[in-house]
Formats: sequence, C-alpha cells, structure tokens
Amino acid sequence: MSEFTWLDGSIVGLYLLATMIAGIMVRRYVSGVDDFLVAGREMNVYLGIASLAATEFGIVTCMYSSEAGYKYGFAGAFPGIANFLAMLIVGWTGFCIKPLRDSGVITIPELLDQRFGGRVRWATGVVIVLGGLLNMGVFLRVGGEFLVAVTGLDTIRMGDGFVEQHKLELMMTILLVAVVIYTVLGGMLSVLVTDYLQFVVMSAGLLTVTLLILVKIGWTQLVDTVESHYGAAGFNPLLNEALGWDFVVFNVLVNTASVLTWQTAIARVLASKDTDTGRKVYARTSFFFLCRWVIPVLWGISALAMCPVGVSSLQAMPRFLATFLPMGFMGLLVAAMLAADMSTDSSYMLTWGGVIYNDILAPLRRGRAWSERKGLLWNRTIVALIGVFLLFYGLWYPLKGDLWSYLAVTGTIYLASISTLLIACCYWPRANSWGAAAAIVVGAAIPVIFLASEQFPATEQIAKTIGPNTAGIAAYVLTGLAMVVGSLLKPRTMTADKDPQS
Amino acid sequence: MMQHWFWLSATVLVVVWYSSITIYVAVRGAVDIKHMLAALSDNRRKQPTDDQSGGAGK
Repeated sequence: MSEFTWLDGSIVGLYLLATMIAGIMVRRYVSGVDDFLVAGREMNVYLGIASLAATEFGIVTCMYSSEAGYKYGFAGAFPGIANFLAMLIVGWTGFCIKPLRDSGVITIPELLDQRFGGRVRWATGVVIVLGGLLNMGVFLRVGGEFLVAVTGLDTIRMGDGFVEQHKLELMMTILLVAVVIYTVLGGMLSVLVTDYLQFVVMSAGLLTVTLLILVKIGWTQLVDTVESHYGAAGFNPLLNEALGWDFVVFNVLVNTASVLTWQTAIARVLASKDTDTGRKVYARTSFFFLCRWVIPVLWGISALAMCPVGVSSLQAMPRFLATFLPMGFMGLLVAAMLAADMSTDSSYMLTWGGVIYNDILAPLRRGRAWSERKGLLWNRTIVALIGVFLLFYGLWYPLKGDLWSYLAVTGTIYLASISTLLIACCYWPRANSWGAAAAIVVGAAIPVIFLASEQFPATEQIAKTIGPNTAGIAAYVLTGLAMVVGSLLKPRTMTADKDPQS
Repeated sequence: MMQHWFWLSATVLVVVWYSSITIYVAVRGAVDIKHMLAALSDNRRKQPTDDQSGGAGK
C-alpha cells in the first residue's frame, strides 16, 4: 500500500502551482521566434546547467536506469559512464559544438544546409523529428505508470465507470496539458525558467531518496544483493551475458552521438550567450550524466533487495518506493519526478517543434519572409500538435524488450546519420551531398527495419537473434561507410558545396 | 565490500558532487534568470518594431 497522504498531495500541488505561474509569467518576454526557440540567445552557464540537467532527466530516465539496475546490477550503469566521458571530452575540446555554435544557426540541419544544400537540410529535419518523436512517444505512458504506481492510484477504486478504467490515461492527459500550456505560451523562456525550478525540486527529491536508501538499506546489503543475484557480472558489463562487448560498444557510440547531436542538448549550446558558455555548460554538466544513471540504478538494486519476486523489472522500482518512503517524502518524490518529467516533455516538444518549423517548413518560407507573429503562431501550433501526437502514440504503442533498448534504437534513427553528417560537415572537406544522402538513408533504414521486425510475428525471432546492440552498431558503422563511399563517388566537378567554416 | 571500490567511490562522488552542484546552481541560476530577463527587456526596448524578419529560420 502506498504512503501517499494529504501532506504529500499538498507538496505536489504547491510545486505544480509554482511551476505553472513561473512558466506562464515569462511569456511576456517572448516577442519573436528567436525568443521562442532559443530564448534570444541570452542563456548563461548556470541556468544552462540547470536546464540541461532537468531536461535530460525525466521519469523515463529514472525508469529505464532503475530497470537496468534491477536487471543487471551496477553493470547496468555503464551507459552513464559513457555519457559522462563523451560530454566531458566534447565540452572540453569543443569538438563539433564549437563550429556549430560559431555558425549562429538554430538547428543542426540549418548548418548542414550551408554545406550539403537545402534538400539535405529538409531530409535531416524529417529524420531528426521521426527519431525524436518515436523516442519521446513512450515518455508519457512510462511517466503515467510510475505516478500511478507510487501514489497507489492503481490500488484505489474510483467507481466502475470511465475514471476507474482510464486512470493511467487521465494521469497522462493532465500531465501533458499542464506542460503544453506553458510551453506554447513561453517557448524556450518558459522552458528555461521552469527547468530551473524543476532542477532544484528534482535534485532535492533524488538526493533525499538516495540518502534514505543508503541509510536504511545500507551499502553492504546493496552490494550483497547484486553479488547473490548476478555475481561478478553484476559489477562488470563485459562479464554479463545479457550485456557484453556489443552493449558496451553500442553505448559508447549512442552516447557520443547523442552528446554531439541530440537536439535537446544541442539546443542549450545554441541558446548560450557565446561558444565558450556553451562549452562550459557541456563540460560542467557532464558529471550529472553519471549521476542520472547511478542514482536510479541504486534505486533499482534496492527494489531487487526489497521487492517480492514476480514484479516486472520496469515496475519494481516504483512499487518498492511506494512502500519504502515515509509520509512527506512521498510528496517530495512525486514532486521531484513530476518536475523531471515536465521539464523533459516541455523541452523535447519545443525542440522537435523547432526543427519542424525551422527546417521541415523551410521551403515554405523560401523567397517570402514570414512575420514574427506568423512564425510564433506556427511554432505554438506545432508544439500543441506534438502534444496531441504524444498522447495518442503513448496510448497505443506496445513496448517490446527493455525500455533503454527501445530508446537507444529509436534514437539511432537519427543519431547515426546526423552525427556522421555533422562530423563530416565540420572536419572532412571531401564530404558532399551524395555522401550525406546515403548516410541519411542507411542511418534511418537499419533501426526502422529492426523496430518493425520486432513487431511482426514472422520476423520477431530474427530481430531477437540479432538484438538491439548489434543492429545499433551496424547502423553506425554502415552509416559512416555510406558517407565515405557516397562522397567519393560524386565527381569533384559536381561538388559545389560550401564549407561552413570558411 | 572494498573489492567493489569503483562503484563505492562512484556512488560517494555522485552524492557529494550532486549535493554541492544543486546548491551552487540554485543560487547562480537565479542570478542568470534575472540577467536573462533584463537583457531580453533591453533588447525589446531597442527594437520596438519588427514584423518582417521572417522568424528564426533562414
């Protein structure tokens, strides 16, 4: 039975009220599309750190990381190590992000346009939105499932009617409507200000729950639990049969590519006051990317230690917390998780919406400039439509396999091709539009075919045999190869592409 | 227990670093918001009319 009481409800209500007020109040500072999409490029380092951290930690992050802890022990936290190192190195060296921010663009496809032409910009826009929205499609349902489980709503009867049958859907809708309201009104400004609030609330909740676990359960019991369930494989992913070298390689590739091109992270670099600020935001937030794995992995291991057998790996952590946390702490946890989820949803909707407006709709604006008012109206409409899409996609898509694998594979739809294009665009003078087109097609085709074959009974077994890690590695390797071969095939006389750095 | 020193030190570092950065960012982030909103107000005063810039996209 959950410990969620009126005191917890009041904490959550207070947090929601503060967020909505802050998010809606800053809308008066939005006077144009630049303000809406990149906060007028006035973001400084610490606001950037808060925003990036809040955006990149949602309920979905907590759920897949804790699932990894429950299923693989400490070894499940390896993606966090890869992510931390990639972010630190990129922030330190400015690899790709320096030329990107220096170019003054709003999205990556806009930079690619300068080198590979308008068609590549449009195609990369489509691929980014496809990968991003499919990836984000499961956020709402996972968030709703977490909240229903920790608050104990699934065990409370609410009559026999519509509300009782659709508790999860109603929870998802309320969550989404709140986020859509302030994102549509204030764009990136609302996202930054609410992200700041959400970072503080989220961090307070995450740290409190983790300290409580370490004090009440203890480090020794956590280690013993992993030891008894998984042995040495619970501490080293290379020794773990379910993970292994392909998991390690795939995660190094995914995390490096996402640091370079994940639009929600890159949006913080592009919204920064200058290139140095963007690099500092990356380097100084990098360790958070280890925290965002280690903390939920500890929660997942605690669930393994304390939960009865028979609970699903995804549900184990919320069910454990529902009974573990005392009164008051549950409200803090729910507020923290709501904060984490709202900041992620708002930022993701705005970012993918920005790519739709800036790159996919770019041909509509060619030759005739749109007024700021019209641009704002389009951006707001797109964000609202993404909200509608999320609601329906989240309701019907059946998740197969574990959550992190789904996210890594859907992310790869664009991570493989866009990271290849970005690196080639910044550092390989011979790269051209033929190579770019080949990379886009190959990079998107492999993960889409893999995801589709997982859903059909005839091909399900083949997909299972190949596995998400091998499919993912193949996508990165073949995409790089497609870029090289395609570029070399195009005769030099036909290459009239421009170099963005020249 | 000490044979898993890597995960023990990672956990300790995570808790200590995250606690410190939360307090620091909470203070400095509020200052950043104040400056950002002031700068946006200034920009708005300097550009009283626009309406034909075509938005962000080029």
